[in-house]
Amino acid sequence: MTFLFSGLGLIGLGALAAWLLEGRSRASAALFQVLAVVGCALGGGAAVRVLLGTPAEQIRYHAQVLGGDWVWGLDALSAAFALAVFVVGAAAIVFGVAYLAAEARHRRVGPSHAFVGLLIVAMALVVTARAAVPFLIAWEVMALSAYFLVVFDDTQAGVRRAGLIYLVATHTGTLALLALFALWGGRSGSFEFDRMMAADLGGPLPSVLFGLALVGFGVKAGFVPLHFWLPEAHPAAPTHVSALMSGLMIKTGVYGLLRVITMVPGAVAPWWGWTLLLLGLTSGVLGVLWAMVQHDLKRLLAYHSIENIGIILMGVGLGTLGLAYGRPTLAVLGFSAAVLHSFNHALFKSLLFFGAGAVARATGTREIERLGGLARRMPVTWIAFLVGAAAIVGLPPLNGFVGEWLLYNGLFGSALGQATTPARFAVWGAAGLALIGALALACFAKVGGVVFLGHARSPHSREAREVGLGFLVPMIALAVLCFALGLFPFAAVGLAWPAGALVAGLSSGSAAQVGFPVIVGLPALWLFTLAIPAVAVLLWILRAGLLQRRAVTRGPTWGCAYAATTPRMQYTGSSFVAPLEAAYRGVVGLEVRRAPGSFVTEPIDRVLEHVLLPAWRVVLDVSGRFRALQHGRLNLYLVYVLATVLALLVWLYAAGTGAGIRP
Amino acid sequence: MSSALASLVVVLLMAPVLPGLSARTKAILTGRRGQPVLQLYSDLGRLLRKGAVYGTATTWMFALAPVVVLATVLCAALLLPLDGRAALIRFSGDAVAFAYVLALGRLALVLGAMDTGSSFEAMGASREVTIASFAEPALFLALVVLAVLTDSLSLSGMLGSRLVPGLEGFQMAAAAPLGLVAITLFVVLLAETARVPVDDPATHLELTMIHEVMILDHSGPDLAFLLYAGAVKLALFGSILVGVVVPRAPLAPWLALVVLVGGLVVVAVLIGVIESVTARLRLKRVPQFLVAAATLAALGVILVLR
Repeated sequence: MTFLFSGLGLIGLGALAAWLLEGRSRASAALFQVLAVVGCALGGGAAVRVLLGTPAEQIRYHAQVLGGDWVWGLDALSAAFALAVFVVGAAAIVFGVAYLAAEARHRRVGPSHAFVGLLIVAMALVVTARAAVPFLIAWEVMALSAYFLVVFDDTQAGVRRAGLIYLVATHTGTLALLALFALWGGRSGSFEFDRMMAADLGGPLPSVLFGLALVGFGVKAGFVPLHFWLPEAHPAAPTHVSALMSGLMIKTGVYGLLRVITMVPGAVAPWWGWTLLLLGLTSGVLGVLWAMVQHDLKRLLAYHSIENIGIILMGVGLGTLGLAYGRPTLAVLGFSAAVLHSFNHALFKSLLFFGAGAVARATGTREIERLGGLARRMPVTWIAFLVGAAAIVGLPPLNGFVGEWLLYNGLFGSALGQATTPARFAVWGAAGLALIGALALACFAKVGGVVFLGHARSPHSREAREVGLGFLVPMIALAVLCFALGLFPFAAVGLAWPAGALVAGLSSGSAAQVGFPVIVGLPALWLFTLAIPAVAVLLWILRAGLLQRRAVTRGPTWGCAYAATTPRMQYTGSSFVAPLEAAYRGVVGLEVRRAPGSFVTEPIDRVLEHVLLPAWRVVLDVSGRFRALQHGRLNLYLVYVLATVLALLVWLYAAGTGAGIRP
Repeated sequence: MSSALASLVVVLLMAPVLPGLSARTKAILTGRRGQPVLQLYSDLGRLLRKGAVYGTATTWMFALAPVVVLATVLCAALLLPLDGRAALIRFSGDAVAFAYVLALGRLALVLGAMDTGSSFEAMGASREVTIASFAEPALFLALVVLAVLTDSLSLSGMLGSRLVPGLEGFQMAAAAPLGLVAITLFVVLLAETARVPVDDPATHLELTMIHEVMILDHSGPDLAFLLYAGAVKLALFGSILVGVVVPRAPLAPWLALVVLVGGLVVVAVLIGVIESVTARLRLKRVPQFLVAAATLAALGVILVLR
């Protein structure tokens, strides 16, 4: 814990330096970078120590305020999420300083850097808090610093709208969390997680608490239908902030759900698992379908976060079913798959956002249809983006595959071993996950092919130049991590397994026992993941050898005998996904506007535009009828107050309970 | 182990026969003489000795695609129990790895096609990923049936020894779902290997091609890699089908291998027959065809889950 808190202290110090020294010292940004990265290294070290088997620690502060002691702790579950926070946080800090360097010439960026530092500290405190009060404080600091980061470009109306939607959403979630902790703490007589856990809840209360947690943490996690703020806020923010939000902040919702499940052992009901699994499946399929038709690169990536939260939620749901039906193997596989995919998604989603940000900086546009041919202009960005794309689709030999492999093992496994409990129906999830994976491949084939390959579609992309080292180093680091965890599945599984065991309520020994049939396959999986690059390298050498003494020439692409092709005749991203859009027309939500000489398609968010905004208009309409009461005249307001007091007095007197106010 | 290795070598060597057999069958049934059955071998030999032409728009992605496609198909072969018993590499969930490594090859092929900047190739790529997104769930539903029937998460169990357990009456109960799975797997095979009625390897118009148009610009060793990878992929999906229809674990290793080769020949001839008697489906109908196949497998899942 000492390491963790000194790390957080350093990040905080760096944030202060960024804010206060800006303008006075040229080195303020560099100082922020160094302090915060060292702080992340210290914090990450503390998390790794716990993951390697150091016993979990707790630290207690006797707060003289309402709600009892403030407790923090670092166990396997906290450590897995904290490690993601520190790794991606460090990358985002380095990237952010380079990304905002262009802005720094004409405006203050120090506050933005400081809020990045604060966001990282707050997220680390959220995943380590062990009492309701510090948890909620850290939760609000996280939510609000994210808000200030989102509205960085507050001169644009769209950004302000996105910020407002985000603010409303996150506070709706906080409201549910307040209710959750108030109910729970009220029953157990303490706001410390350990004592809340020991409390005898009984009756329908656990299910009520789960429902509140599902809403409260669900808004943050952003699964369908609570996702509506995410595709607004994430693209509006500066790129490194999008990475922090999409890669990390939505995972605090996942963490919250997992933590609540650890705190109600034995009270887990089957409907929790089914709800989570179905929500996950829905989110996964709809998220990727909605992502596919986007024209804005960052919005597309934001919808992919909804898809991946769906996959993670399927893992949580499977684990919960395992708990509810007494199938420990499913529990440990489901939960560790959820934790591992959370970690993996933090890596590759921030990598992809960095790539998108680099493209936006180099070309000045995020419109997919205006890009093209960037593989030549930005070779390193392209390779990093390609690694991230293959990883997010879940392809071997990258890290995304290891997480999905665990999840598939759990989903398939649910129906094996002469299973008689209803948990066996979770096996249908395997086909759903396959559908999600295949659609994600289609979507990233579109992004990679249209943005980076072929010919440039506009002057923006024709004259793009590769971005600087400050952009590239974080991208390369994350791409290497994606490869490393994929090529060494031991490390990936080892990172998540203790957390999975913890949520499943198993000791490490019994977790290894129930998961043995899967874990025993790791060496073979490792061999297989190594075989893929090895065979590819051998074939590449063979090809080079075959071509060495032969004529290798270049010529124009075959255009079906049509000689005068132009870059504008290339297939567009919209055409690329048109067959899939046609197949899923009912759910995709693509608005088509035709006019003479023009054809515009605009992807719209069904939930936001067709459900929430109309509902909001009804609320406005109804409350508008009472607007006459709010006219701003103080004397009449005083009459309202007087009338209310009198009415209350009369009521108390009439009821005979007004002990102190006898006439 | 040695029988697995021997089967792998035999399958890799004989794979180029299969497309030739299909083409020959189709030729005979449509009243032509057709190309020699072993045509692909001489094509491959000729292409490997040639130079290559690269489009001016292309980058390393285009050159890498055939290498990755062939590498992934070869790695996928390591996971299949070709001798009817056990694969060279097997672990819990290797069935998933089989599908996903082939998806890696698909991504490489599709990106290679889009690297040319040609609308036709991108159109083919778009159709390829669309069809795959319908074929993949069908494949996984079939795998679920096999996994539940054999109580195994590994292809070596699903297609190998566990398909013929000593339980009395087991085989009769398993016959219906296995039959459904066989049909699904055959449809998936047709889709994955770009055959009629999903795609037509003999089409001559770029606008109507799917797989063929994506490899239109490849030449020399690159094209050889792609053609060979296509043949091996056909052999792999064929041997899954043979594994489901004829469990070979009780047979002697050499007999199992003979049955596998015979089964693959039957599959290739069957493809040829289908290509002669049916037309290709309209592109809009292909998803329905694949969803129908997935539905059969889903019925199988319902049967085995009870």
